[in-house]
Order: sequence, then C-alpha cells, then structure tokens
Amino acid sequence: MGIVLELKNVSKNYGKVIAADNINIEVDQTEFFSLLGPSGSGKTTMLRIIAGLEEPNEGSQVIINGKDVTHAPPYQRGIGMVFQDFLLFPHKTVAENILFPLKMQGASQKEKDENLKWITHLTQLEGLENRYPYQLSGGQKQRVALARGLVSKPSLLLLDEPLANLDLELRKKMEIEIRRFQIELGIPFIYVTHNQQEALTMSDSIAIMNYGKMEQVGEKFSLYHDPDSQFVASFLGSADSIEAEVASVQDGIATMTFHGKTIQARAHNGLKAGDQAICYIKSERIRMEVEENPDAPCGVVLDKIFKGQYIDYILDIEEGNEIIASSGTLSQIKAKDRISISWDPQVADAFPLPPKDPS
Amino acid sequence: MKSTLGKRLQLGTLILLYIFLYAPIVYIVYVSFQTNGVWPFPPDFTLEHYASLWHDEIYREGLKNSLIIGIGTAALASLLATMATIAILKYHVKGRMIMTGLFLSPLFIAHVIIGISSLMFNKNVLGLSGNIGSTILANATYATAFAFLVVLAQLARYDWRLDDAAMVFGATPKVVFKEITFPLIWSAIFGAFVVSFLLAFNNLEISFYNLGATPTLPTLAWGSLRHGVSQELYALAALINLVVFVFFGVLYAMLKSGLLKLDYKEA
Repeated sequence: MGIVLELKNVSKNYGKVIAADNINIEVDQTEFFSLLGPSGSGKTTMLRIIAGLEEPNEGSQVIINGKDVTHAPPYQRGIGMVFQDFLLFPHKTVAENILFPLKMQGASQKEKDENLKWITHLTQLEGLENRYPYQLSGGQKQRVALARGLVSKPSLLLLDEPLANLDLELRKKMEIEIRRFQIELGIPFIYVTHNQQEALTMSDSIAIMNYGKMEQVGEKFSLYHDPDSQFVASFLGSADSIEAEVASVQDGIATMTFHGKTIQARAHNGLKAGDQAICYIKSERIRMEVEENPDAPCGVVLDKIFKGQYIDYILDIEEGNEIIASSGTLSQIKAKDRISISWDPQVADAFPLPPKDPS
Repeated sequence: MKSTLGKRLQLGTLILLYIFLYAPIVYIVYVSFQTNGVWPFPPDFTLEHYASLWHDEIYREGLKNSLIIGIGTAALASLLATMATIAILKYHVKGRMIMTGLFLSPLFIAHVIIGISSLMFNKNVLGLSGNIGSTILANATYATAFAFLVVLAQLARYDWRLDDAAMVFGATPKVVFKEITFPLIWSAIFGAFVVSFLLAFNNLEISFYNLGATPTLPTLAWGSLRHGVSQELYALAALINLVVFVFFGVLYAMLKSGLLKLDYKEA
C-alpha cells in the first residue's frame, strides 16, 4: 500500500509562538491516523497546513500522493475535511451541502444523483435531503458533514475534533461509524482530537503532539505500552507518578529507592544511578494486597470509587503520595484498609526528573 | 385585573408612539390634497398640486438628480464598506483598530464642512467645478462610514470558517464569495445600500455646495422655503413617502412568501 500523505520538516510559527516544530509524518493508504494532544499543542495547525488553509514556514514540505502541494491553494488539493462545529452551509439544503464538492468539480447531474444516493445511504441520511441544517439534530449534522467530506471520494479525509460537540452516547456511536466509513472507503483519515479515548478507539496509528513538537508516533498499542517520552507516559491512559532515587540500572531496568522501599521500572533517557527519577505506572497495572509487605510501598485506602466497569482506589502511599489504582469490580478491598502495592517492572517507566527550579 | 390595566397602558403607549412618529407625515399627506395649505380646515380636496408638480420641469430634474446621487453614493459606499469589513473581519489585517477608527471618523464631520471642503479641493487642487460626480464622491465620504457601521455590525456574527470550508471543497475565492459569502451577507450589504441611499438622497449641504444651481429635491425644498412653502412640496413629500412605503411593503411581502431570505438560522 502506498504512502498518501507525507509531511517533511513541517514548521510553523506565529511570531514567537511555535505551533509546529519540524514535524515529519507518513500516512499510508488504509491508515486511520490520529493527531492527539492537549489544546494548544499545534494539532489543528497541522491539519490546516495539510488542507492548505495555513502556509508553513520556508523549508517545509507537504506531499499528497507523491505531489508536492506545499504552496498549492486548498481548492487544488482534492481532499475532504470535516470541521469542528460542522460548518455546514446554513443557506443550503442537506443535498446541496453534501453535493457542494462535486458541484465545484463540475460533475454531471447523473454523477451527482448517483453519489448522493450512495453517500446518503452510507451515512443514513435518506429522506433528509431537502432539510436545512438548522432542522437537523447534532448527530444528523455530523453525518452531513461527514457525507460532504466523503462524497467526492477524496484521496484523504481530515477530521478536526468532529465529535467534540456531541454527547457521550452519540460520540461512542459515531466513533464506531467513522471507523467503519474509513475501512469501507479505503482512504486514510487524519483525525485531530484531544480525547485519547477517541484516538485509541478508532486509530491504527497515533501521533502525540505537545507544544508544537511531535512527542511520539506509532501504532497505538505500542504507544500506550512503550512510551518514549515523559509526556507520552504521563499523558496516555490514567498514569500515576512516583518520585524516587535511582540505585542502579541494569538491562534497561532501573532499581530505585522510594521511602526506603525498592521499586523497579524501565529506564529511559539515559537514567543512571544517583539520579532523581519520576516513575509512571498506569492505574490498571497497580496490584494491591491487603497484608503489609515490608519490602513494598505501603499505604492506606483513602476512598473507593465505583465507576461501573471498574473501581478506582484513591491511595495514600508512604504518607503523602496520592495515587490511583484501578481494579475489577469484584475487589473486596475497602476504604481505610491498609495495603501494599506492586507492579511488573516491564509496564512502568522511569525518566530523569528535571532539576527543580531554584525558585 | 392588574394585568389588563398593564396591557392597556402598553397599548396606549404604543399608539402614542406611532402618533408621535406618523402625525407630521399624515398631516403633510393631508395638506397635499387641500386647496388651502396655510389653514386646511375644513377640508377642501384637490389634486391641483400633484398636477402642477407633474408639469413642473424643475421638480422632475431635481428628482432625477437626487436619484442619481442616491444610487451612485449607495453603490460606492456599500462596495467600499463591504471590502473594508472583509479586510478587517476575515483577513484580520494589521492595524485594524486604527483602520476602523479612520473609516468611522467621517461620521463626526459636519456635512457643511464636507460640502465646502470638497468644493474647494475640487476647484483649487483638481481644477474641477462641482458636478454630479463630485457630489456623489463627497456624499460617499460619510455615507461609507455609515455603511461600514451597518455592514460591520452584521458581519461580526458571520463565521468566516465557512469560507475556509468551501475552499477546501474546491471553491476558488471568487466562487466562495458567490456561493457562500454573498448569499449569507447580502442583507447586510443591502441594509448599508438603503441607509447610504437615503442619506445621499436627502442630503442638502453637500449637494448645495457642489451643484450650485443644479436642482436636487432637498435644494429645491430648501430654496422654495425662501418664497413660502409651496404646496407642490407637500405633494412631493407625500409621493416620496408613498414610494418608501411601497418599497418596504413589497420587501415584506417577498420575505413573507419566502421569495427572499434575509437571514439564516445558525446551522
């Protein structure tokens, strides 16, 4: 399968603010690719650069289907897009909205009729063709926006937080639908979101952005379980952090001292003996035992929060370190129980702790 | 009981307001049909003022000139105002606060001053005598400011990202304006057109200084004051009011029937 989208050394700054810092991405023909990051991380800027709505700095390259389109205007790029807040044309009917890209291409009436039939069937919009956007529900607007993005069978579809304004139930339904469309059409989707649940549910690959920098790109499973950077380790999933002093590093595993107890985690970024480290463990990876183990970190259960599919335990470990441990719903541990915790060193990640500001 | 009293008071206030607004107009229409304009009671109806208005060449000339000035000014002012608004709101040009201030400042200059200064500028700097063209240009200075105010207020609500969306779906900037922007903002431009037309159509000072003896309706009305108000003037005022009411009546009917759409609900 061929590469559809390539970004090479893409940078963009607004005055002194760096929105994109030397970004390199390749997206494959059948890939669902998410750009994930907190708000202000530069992910929407990346999408606008791909669409041609924003011009990147000198030296950047945007290549679609092997063609350098860095300086091509949006209307020559042949891509589809689904915008945040839908951006349906309020003075046009559902059918006119959906067919707008084909109208711009000068498609024949027959072509338009056929494509409208196909896409309204795919997106379950049959019967709504003559309505105006204000007469639609949120989910229907979302489908019209998707249909408009897909109707011209573009070489790639960009989606800018398209589910941000939908309620949770609808969002979950749309996540599955969007993924289904992507598989059905066999074109890459580039999906921007700050919601990691969305990114993890739909994507094949995820690029994590922070302050305009690409922190890590990769297949979602490896990203979740093998974070390369402190930001990714702390950002993905529900991660607890513990500060400790490194005693030794051997075979990539750091052995650390935490309040006199020994803990272990994978060592990153050249962590070495004597360093102060910050150690990230996903909540669901923390094991709790009711008997106090003198070699393991111990503490007390402050609160037990029933979440439906799992239980969150709020723990106070070694007096003053609050962490969350998730557990199955059948767990018998109660609030105020004294417990000890442990984890598999292969699922925890330790990074050198940046030196504290003297202030 | 209290609510009925409140409602009656509200209705009473509304009726008083309408009387306040329309009594002078109704009186002028009434007088235009009377033989005696000074004390038109008891009524003695006649159409002679309309007949003499119709036969008086100078009123026709004045109407023609006023229409040319009104339409010319309105077209120029609404075009400039729309372009300025798009630059400021869509493209966020640098120094847009100062630009906005400079666009609006002609509002604060007295029309007499604009009239005199444009006459002097044309004569001394350009070596031109006043004519209809220079009158249109001089009227367009402050009319553009009014039009800008109207367009700016309306377009502040416009979502320019719609233009981005259209562009991504293959529309060139020209097509974006035709397909998306204009259908959604025409009512604002139209409002600016109407406002600047009325301003220029009714303007006395600028036309007086730039045109001299060439008649417009306001200069004729003002000139005739010196010889006592003639009743043709009442007839003229009545006719202008009739045109305005018919215009808005037709507009209302078109909006009511859905033939014309003024505003779109947010998507």
